[in-house]
Amino acid sequence: MSDNEKNFLQIVDLKKGYGAGETRQEVLRGMNFSVAKGEICVLLGPSGSGKSTLLNIIGGIDNADGGYISIGGDKLQDMSEKRLTQYRRKHLGYVFQLYNLIGNLNVKENIETGAYLSDAPLDIDELLHTLGLYEHRYKLPNQLSGGQQQRVSIGRAIVKNPDILLCDEPTGALDYATSKEILKLIEDINQKYGNTVVMVTHNEAIRGMADHVVKLRDGQVRSNERNDRKISAADLEW
Amino acid sequence: MFLFLVLTIGFVSGMYVANESMMSANRSGAEKYKLEYGHFELKSQADDALLSAIAAGDKADVKQFYLDKAQKELDEKFRSEFEKEFDAKFQTEFAAKFRAQFDPTFREQFDAQFQAGVLQQLIASGADQQTASAMLPAAVAQAKASGAYQAAYDQAYPAAYDQAYKAAYDDAYAGAYDDAYATAYQEAQDKLQTEIDEKYADAEEKYELNDPDFKPVPVTLYENFFRNETEDNNNDGQSDGTVRVYAPTEDINLACLLDGRFPASADEIAIDRMHADNVGVRVGDTITVGGEEFQVVGLLAYVNYSTLHEKTTDLMFDALKFDVALVTEDGFARLHESVHYAYAWRYVTPPADETAEKSLSDDFMRALLTQTVVAENDLQDYVPRYANPAVNFAPDDMGSDEAMGGVLLNILTVIIAFIFAVTISNTIAKESPAIGTLRASGYTRAELTRHYLTMPVIVTLLAAVVGNILGYTLFKNVVVGMYYNSYSLPTYQTIWNGQAFLKTTVIPVVLMFVVNLLIITRMMRHTPLEFLRRQLKKSRRKKAVRLPSWRFFARFRLRIIFQNVSNYVILFLGVFFVMVLLAMAVGMPSTLAYYQDNSENMIFAKYQYVLKDYEDADGNAVTTAIDGAEKFSLSTLLHRSDVLDEEVSVYGVEPDSRYVLCPGLADLTGSRVYITQSFSDKYGIQVGDTVTLDEKYENKSYEFTVAGLYDGSQSIAVFMPIAEFRETFGQDENAFSGFFSDAELTDLDLDNVATVITIRDIQKMADQLDHSMGSYMTYFQYLCILLSAVMIYLLTKLIIEKNENAISMVKILGYQTGEIARLYLLSTTIVLVLADAVSVFLGTAVMKTAWRVIMASYSGWFDFRMEPVGYVKMFAFVLIGYLLVLLLDFRRIQKIPLDRALKGAE
Repeated sequence: MSDNEKNFLQIVDLKKGYGAGETRQEVLRGMNFSVAKGEICVLLGPSGSGKSTLLNIIGGIDNADGGYISIGGDKLQDMSEKRLTQYRRKHLGYVFQLYNLIGNLNVKENIETGAYLSDAPLDIDELLHTLGLYEHRYKLPNQLSGGQQQRVSIGRAIVKNPDILLCDEPTGALDYATSKEILKLIEDINQKYGNTVVMVTHNEAIRGMADHVVKLRDGQVRSNERNDRKISAADLEW
Repeated sequence: MFLFLVLTIGFVSGMYVANESMMSANRSGAEKYKLEYGHFELKSQADDALLSAIAAGDKADVKQFYLDKAQKELDEKFRSEFEKEFDAKFQTEFAAKFRAQFDPTFREQFDAQFQAGVLQQLIASGADQQTASAMLPAAVAQAKASGAYQAAYDQAYPAAYDQAYKAAYDDAYAGAYDDAYATAYQEAQDKLQTEIDEKYADAEEKYELNDPDFKPVPVTLYENFFRNETEDNNNDGQSDGTVRVYAPTEDINLACLLDGRFPASADEIAIDRMHADNVGVRVGDTITVGGEEFQVVGLLAYVNYSTLHEKTTDLMFDALKFDVALVTEDGFARLHESVHYAYAWRYVTPPADETAEKSLSDDFMRALLTQTVVAENDLQDYVPRYANPAVNFAPDDMGSDEAMGGVLLNILTVIIAFIFAVTISNTIAKESPAIGTLRASGYTRAELTRHYLTMPVIVTLLAAVVGNILGYTLFKNVVVGMYYNSYSLPTYQTIWNGQAFLKTTVIPVVLMFVVNLLIITRMMRHTPLEFLRRQLKKSRRKKAVRLPSWRFFARFRLRIIFQNVSNYVILFLGVFFVMVLLAMAVGMPSTLAYYQDNSENMIFAKYQYVLKDYEDADGNAVTTAIDGAEKFSLSTLLHRSDVLDEEVSVYGVEPDSRYVLCPGLADLTGSRVYITQSFSDKYGIQVGDTVTLDEKYENKSYEFTVAGLYDGSQSIAVFMPIAEFRETFGQDENAFSGFFSDAELTDLDLDNVATVITIRDIQKMADQLDHSMGSYMTYFQYLCILLSAVMIYLLTKLIIEKNENAISMVKILGYQTGEIARLYLLSTTIVLVLADAVSVFLGTAVMKTAWRVIMASYSGWFDFRMEPVGYVKMFAFVLIGYLLVLLLDFRRIQKIPLDRALKGAE
């Protein structure tokens, strides 16, 4: 693995705060770490540790106050609004805790919203099979269970085969069994398509499936380590 | 929405305040300026006896008058008529017989006398009696041969004949007189009685002279004489119109002075303010009236001319070509046209309401009619106040404006209420978990409903307060300006209008309250758990509609359309409503322009001279030597309907008429007629239908079968061959009503002319409407663009707000603003363009129907016309409004933050 691949995603002295004056709160206080291309990186931390803010800045939907993020050598701070959009369009897939599906589009159409953005999208029917949603492809999101909705969300993110898949508490709203199914799906996708996965969670157990675990607290990196005892998502327990 | 409500309420409030203030000024002005209860015009000036009789208000005994008059005439004429008749009869029946009897007798007597004479001559020449007797036959034969006999015979015959004839005549007359005079006199008297009975029966029926409910109506009469003169505003020698010049009055139909002063000398005049504004005449200018110069010293508004209607039958007033003016008595004497002997009246006991006024007027007219008849005068015109458009048009119009303003406000309020309701509905959906939590915590549905109801009600209330303030200040002046631009109204004072408060405050608030209450109550029916789970739609578990395999963006847009059907329905209704208004704003000028440009094709002769009678005062037929003049007959009948009893002109025209070009008209017989296209359009009468027309004042009806339509005239008219006309209406074979002509008939004695119908009668309505409303229509078009833009903005804002999460999400996914706009704005654009296109035609259709309903209550017919470019304009105006909105919506989409999706998932 080249240095570029090792430092595919670089977070350098990243700072972010909200509010002003006495009410100002520093959420990220100079964060540093890198994520290698194709690995699953799990960001662990309690509420308020800054993990979602970090994910939003990586996703280009929020700005840092200091430091920078680079992806494949490109610094997000240097990008114009238009380039940032292109960056999200070409390189990122996003999976949210609450799925964020478009309610008036059916399963297939929600996935097509992602496919439209790619010059070489994955085959949607094949992906629907992979996701186990083929039979549900004409259903609206509100006709699906939480797990099924999250699968659609993953499908929408992955259909354009992004370089990085950002997952913000993807199992946060799901039950145990469904959560494991979703994690397994993410793992399978990572293995099948080789996307870099950055997953934010407060569930310590999920670290087991990660290649790389970063623990955050109070806006800082408390630990940044490789997981040498990686296990399959199917074997995770909590 | 607040601004929109403020502006709408403000304008309507301004309209109510202005209307009420001006109506109040109009009402109080009726007393202040001593408005008549009506007026009538006599052919000649009434003497004191007639005026006293009319003022008493009682009927004259017309029947006795006719009888006395007839008896007098009978007495005067019967003997001569009897003699004439006897003479004629004697001549035809006895003269030849008498001669046959007289001639042989006379010859016998003459021969005897002649022979006696010859005998005497022979004796005188010396012959004795015997010789003379012997010579006599030869001498007589010689006299016959020489002609002396015949000469003597011829000389003697006439005198003898006349004497004998006279004796025989006298004998025969004496015998005939004894035998027939009394009988003939009685017969003549009986015949007259019958004729008078019939004549009176007609009049009685016509005017209900024997109405048992008749009560005498005492009135006070006032002379209100005037002359109709030509007016030359710019003194260029060309007549610019007609000015009705009044002599000063003290106690009736006074004028409100709006500028300058009243005339004080013979060369001063005060003219109508509205007309002066229209033609650019100011105080201090000089104008030429009836060929005489007058200085304009004042501008006024006559209380009986709030609109400048020249004739009571005019569909529209004419403030451009018609004027009313006041001069001094000396000034009046300077003028030349014949004086119109108009008398205004006021009831001694004023009526309590319009019903009572009509009843009084009916009784008064009967009394007036009888008194005029017995005074051997002629009633030329009778106009009670309630039927006088010059008095009623303005208040009626202001009244209908008020009603229309009220409906407009209510429709807009309901549309805004629905927009509010949908907004609140969206807010409730957004705040669903919070509402669920509150409900679970013990808050009642009523408490939450009150919470969500507060905003629209308070906004409406505040808008009403601000709107009313603007209504009483800014908008009132706008509306007042509009009315002063059309009507000759007196000065006014702004008055508090309780109705304005009710209609612009209470009703909008109530409408807003009710509409929102219904929607919010429906939303609040959900259980706390449904709120917590955001399960607010009944159709949540319904399957998605399967769409064809179109391109992804096309399907996406279709989904957005399905998602926002309710919003789009409101959008469609709003666009449709605006389009109805736009149809008026665009169609009205188009209609007027059409009639202004094509008026020449809408009258079949440039002049229609309607005569008082086809014979002049000397009994000679009225003729003209002007080439091209063509006789026609005319009768005015009534077409009765629930809405209006409309006058219909029934023409009898020459079979080969050069003016009324109806192929086949000459072949029509019996009751088969042509009717005008306008008549057909207005009442939906088709070829083959039967039209029933009634005599105006008689219980007599005519049924005509429509054989064809004639589109050469704008009037409501019927055409038939003149011979059929005479037969239908029982007229003499030479009778006619006047002349059609394309040239002025300068050789007609104007004393014989009742009226002249010219192209101006067609044009003046279009001209006046154009002047009064034409310029406002342009502003109205702008207002409609604004209205549509505001309404579309409010609705598209709702649609975007509803989809903020989705838009934010697709932004996160990497969609560019242009692509998002293509998804979310283009779907609305498609709906808008479709709604726009459909509404153009629907709005026009509704306007056409409304126009038809409005026109049905007026005399005459103007078809609502929308040119093809008008449809394009209407379409473009709404689209222009939408394009403005599109820019705002684009910016709104741009501003939706990326993290919006993270804060509230759908």
